[in-house]
Amino acid sequence: MWFFILAELLVFGVFFLAYAFARTRNVELFNASQLELDQLSGAINTVLLISSSYFVVRAVDQIRHGRSRSCTYWLLAAMTCGGAFLVLKLAEFGAKIEAGITMSTNTFFMFYLGLGFFHFMHVVLGMVILGAVTLKAWKGGYSAASYSGVETGAAYWHMVDLVWIILFPLIYVLH
Amino acid sequence: MMKAATFQWLVLLAMTAVAVGLSQATLSDNAILAPVLLTTLIKGRIVIDRFMALQGAIAPWRWIVLGWLVLVLGLIGYAFHMAQT
Repeated sequence: MWFFILAELLVFGVFFLAYAFARTRNVELFNASQLELDQLSGAINTVLLISSSYFVVRAVDQIRHGRSRSCTYWLLAAMTCGGAFLVLKLAEFGAKIEAGITMSTNTFFMFYLGLGFFHFMHVVLGMVILGAVTLKAWKGGYSAASYSGVETGAAYWHMVDLVWIILFPLIYVLH
Repeated sequence: MMKAATFQWLVLLAMTAVAVGLSQATLSDNAILAPVLLTTLIKGRIVIDRFMALQGAIAPWRWIVLGWLVLVLGLIGYAFHMAQT
């Protein structure tokens, strides 16, 4: 799993740097386009992902102590935050499409929509992984002696959070 | 241990509020660059060391992920600084 996570981080890192260096040649365009973003939605999404990561930490701690049911509840809380993130992100994308903004509008929106959708798909995959782990935890499939599946799912979810922690200031905040 | 995790979660939320506040303040682009990147670095380190529990992990995993964070943020800072000068 760690090789997979490192590969994902490398790909996101390349995209982040492509955005940052593409901006150097179109500063005015990037700054003007950034003003059209819903920063509040981005900030709420940051709170949701950070909180979901914290809930996953709590889930891992619970299963370490053999509390399978409590682990399930924390995972469900994390998934609720992840689901809210996806709903907000879809609303954000929908508003842009409604305004006639697409990837071909300009370079900024190509990165905004491209990077946003790429990360969105990682959140979807993370939700699938957390869903499978939650189901197994609910059925008592993990114990204090055997919980590597919970740790693996947690590591992937934290990676998704880590990427958003950089993506948010890069696209929504820095100008 | 969970008290520490709760504290770290609150720090992450506070750092997010600081970054958003800085972007709303009437400060120059250059003035917000370093503090926003610094808050991002702190947030990233908390997630890597504490949430991913890589602090104390067998080398080289922690250093690879931390190195990725520092390199990416450093180059982003360089690119934004270059665009402002």
